[in-house]
Amino acid sequence: MGKLTNFKRSLWVFHASGGSCNACDIEIIASLTPRYDVERFGIKLVGSPRHADVLLVTGAIPRDFADKLRRIYEQMPDPKAVVVVGNCGTTGGVFYDSYNIAGPIDEIIPVDVYVPGCPPRPEAIIDGVVKAWLKIEKLEKELEGKKE
Amino acid sequence: MSWLESLTLNSPSGFWNPIVWLAFLIVFAVIGYIIYSRGNRSYKPNTDQVKPYLSGNEVEDVEEIRVRAGDIYWGFIEALKGYYNVLMRMHTGDIRDYILWYLGLGAIILFILVGGV
Ligand code: SF4
Repeated sequence: MGKLTNFKRSLWVFHASGGSCNACDIEIIASLTPRYDVERFGIKLVGSPRHADVLLVTGAIPRDFADKLRRIYEQMPDPKAVVVVGNCGTTGGVFYDSYNIAGPIDEIIPVDVYVPGCPPRPEAIIDGVVKAWLKIEKLEKELEGKKE
Repeated sequence: MSWLESLTLNSPSGFWNPIVWLAFLIVFAVIGYIIYSRGNRSYKPNTDQVKPYLSGNEVEDVEEIRVRAGDIYWGFIEALKGYYNVLMRMHTGDIRDYILWYLGLGAIILFILVGGV
């Protein structure tokens, strides 16, 4: 068997919703339905961050959820990437500067891809996940480099 | 009979030989090591990465959240707390204490039966 030089596996995604209005989440579901059907490319939602390569986060993150999000991020195996879906997570959106919001997601965990929109279209979400894929391939190569 | 045969124990259902056993142990240890060495090096022990996923909540100490078999008697023990508190203090687990109790009670019974009359 040849050496793995890039990320050749299916991409598994874990979705963490930090109290979004649900519109972003329903667009994520739309990308799984037959019209877009990302599972045919091996991209699928999984029930545990322990199995995931990509963390998809939606919503502005309330203070009570910040430590949970950090923990979810840490529970993912390396290499991993974070995609923020929607304006809420990207900038705080309409909740910007609210007393109960822990800030845009990149103030809590490192973010690799932003998918703006309120909510973004499924095409944009799929594009974001593909960008995360490229990022993971890069990280995988770095990890392989470290091994040698 | 060679020395290897002299170590072999035959029975109707098979045989046992410590040298063969040792050889298998070494082979399996090598296979185990090969699998281990091909494992993911980015794995970070002693971090949250290795903990079970609990919807992002902190994993509590298992000892604290486990329901033990003895917990079935909780109501019973709670109702007879006064009795059990005394009994549990007496129950030291030291055999000498029990012998002392045995002798003491024996002496009392003997006193009642023989000396007391
Ligand atoms: S970005 Fe818009 S659609 Fe998405 S969770 Fe926030 S308010 Fe809802």
